[in-house]
Amino acid sequence: MSHGPSASGGALVAAPPHGHHHDEPHEPVFVGEARTQLDTILSRYPTKQAALLPALWMLQDARGWVSDKGIEEIAALLAITPAYIKGVVSFYTMYHQHPVGRHFIQVCTTTPCNVCGAEDVVKSFLEHTGCGDLGLTSADGRFTVIEVECLGACGFATPVMINNDFIESVTPESVPRILAELK
Amino acid sequence: MVSLTIEGRPVTVPDGMSILEAAKTAGVLVPHYCYHPGLPVAGVCRMCLVEVEKMPKLAPACATSVMEGQVVHVHSPKALEARKGVLEFLLINHPLDCPICDQAGECELQDYTFAEGRADSRYREPKRFNPVEDFGGDVLYVQNRCILCTRCVRFMSDVADEPVLNVSERGDRAFIGKAEGHDLTNPWAGNVIDLCPVGALLSKDFLNKARAWELDRAPTVCTGCSQGCNAVVETRDNVPVRLKPRPNDAVNQYYMCEVGRQSYREFARRDRADQPLVRINGTLTEVDWEDAVTAAVGALSGKRVVVLASPNLSNEALFLLERLVAQLNGQGVFRVARGETVPLPGVADLALREERAANAAGARLLGFAEVTTVGSALRHDDALLVVGDALDGVTPSELAALSSLVFVGTTIPTAVAERAVAVLPITNTVEEEGTFTNLRGRVQRFLQGRTAPGVARPSWFVLTDLLAATGGAAEFHLPADVFAAMVSTHQAFAGLDYESLGMHGLPVLASETATAGAAI
Repeated sequence: MSHGPSASGGALVAAPPHGHHHDEPHEPVFVGEARTQLDTILSRYPTKQAALLPALWMLQDARGWVSDKGIEEIAALLAITPAYIKGVVSFYTMYHQHPVGRHFIQVCTTTPCNVCGAEDVVKSFLEHTGCGDLGLTSADGRFTVIEVECLGACGFATPVMINNDFIESVTPESVPRILAELK
Repeated sequence: MVSLTIEGRPVTVPDGMSILEAAKTAGVLVPHYCYHPGLPVAGVCRMCLVEVEKMPKLAPACATSVMEGQVVHVHSPKALEARKGVLEFLLINHPLDCPICDQAGECELQDYTFAEGRADSRYREPKRFNPVEDFGGDVLYVQNRCILCTRCVRFMSDVADEPVLNVSERGDRAFIGKAEGHDLTNPWAGNVIDLCPVGALLSKDFLNKARAWELDRAPTVCTGCSQGCNAVVETRDNVPVRLKPRPNDAVNQYYMCEVGRQSYREFARRDRADQPLVRINGTLTEVDWEDAVTAAVGALSGKRVVVLASPNLSNEALFLLERLVAQLNGQGVFRVARGETVPLPGVADLALREERAANAAGARLLGFAEVTTVGSALRHDDALLVVGDALDGVTPSELAALSSLVFVGTTIPTAVAERAVAVLPITNTVEEEGTFTNLRGRVQRFLQGRTAPGVARPSWFVLTDLLAATGGAAEFHLPADVFAAMVSTHQAFAGLDYESLGMHGLPVLASETATAGAAI
């Protein structure tokens, strides 16, 4: 499953303890079908720069996060500077600037959900995933849990997004079952 | 042209000009941070808000064009209130660490807060804190003080054409980011320090060296290359500590390269020749000026004299040397250090030039021939008069073949110390006044920025003495006198006047520029 445009809260993800990932090998993302897809996107806009956000989504879908090497790849394709793209990536909280777990779990803790016990849902997720703390990734690389500002479903507190899946009325007790269903 | 009224003053300015620039012509300063005349308009700081009659909202003066009949109020209660709010907003996170900030005393946030800001802060929460970041090159980024005007980002993108800076993150977390793996090592990157209106971008070289109000300043011309960038030399207790660009649209706009900035070190050297010396019984011995001049002239008379002049000498010194060459029936040559040409892409005709000397063009106009090695100009038994040149790259055999060596300069090269008959100490560029001719033939004045060491004298003064001692006509009491004599005898400089050069210079006759004179 991929991280879609509706995911949010990327900037709240703390840097993983093992630091930067700039030296990681980077396999080009925009080859073959992905390149064709990018070309299609490009054809919809008057300038290449306008296709930056969709290109970044494609990169994040493919790799799980937006790496510096990935930024360089997009910079070359869209003729924009890496510095500019980095500015855009860091502006939008939905882009991950560090690797996250395979299952990116966002728990809404804004006021109404908080009143309905969202804090306990967060605690339950942290406990059952083994993440330890918000923004950190579990040792097996499967989970990252963060709090998110308002998922717009106050009537179904507490709502949770796991990658692109939206789950309503989550309680601390339902967390183990939800996690068990994840591959 | 458009006519409008700014603060009650009628002005007529070209169509399309911003209100901010128009206000300048009326002598009214509109406070601003993100606006800079050398950069594209961003309109992000909101500090230049002014009230324009019949406009529903306050207008940013930097991004609003003048209109016929407009009535602009810069200091109306509404505009002042808005700017007071902007300042309060900026100071929410900006630390009040002026006592330890390098920019204190020349900080626009300090100035405008003093002029228009609130006396107190309503903000009680702790300020944002971020660590200082090394941007590479000479640049240090103090994120806490940054007001995100983006002048540095725009300079690197639009002027230096090396867009390595950005605005990262957003809202109260925003900061100036640097592309991973790129440092501000661009030869023009140091300009972001000058452009920064607050103390967020600082020079590592100048860090904690002086406070702005301790510095004495004098207009000068950079000697780093033949571009002749206008600069200000700043001294503390008579020691040059910094060179900053001085705006001149015709030469360097607002900018200066790293090589130029660092050239202040040459002026701050401590190993200076500061007493006249004459070789007595094999040892260079301190003597008074008269004896030194007599000894120098004695060493040069009756021989074929080669004059090796530095292309960093002023036009006045070179003119007097030219006369001396004629008087001694000698030959005048000069050498120029060369390097790579590094243009500043965003400014037409501005570059760190290949010729790394300030006055090679002047030397050519005044009849000196360029040589690549001193040896190529020397013959057996010649007398060599070195003026300002470092005399490096001369072989021992070439030196041994000289009949005599006289040195007029600022620091004594090793080769000279062993061989010179007389040493006459002169002042360097920031210790005297005069003119240089840049590669486009622009004659520009520089003024004295500090006192000379010991009893060193200005180059034109010493050369006047030498000329008089050899029997030449030398009735000069000021650099202006020498300049006037040069203008009256050299067609290339015809029509120029020392006073009317001002501090921005004037071009020599176009047909006579830089190309005159040939290398031998």
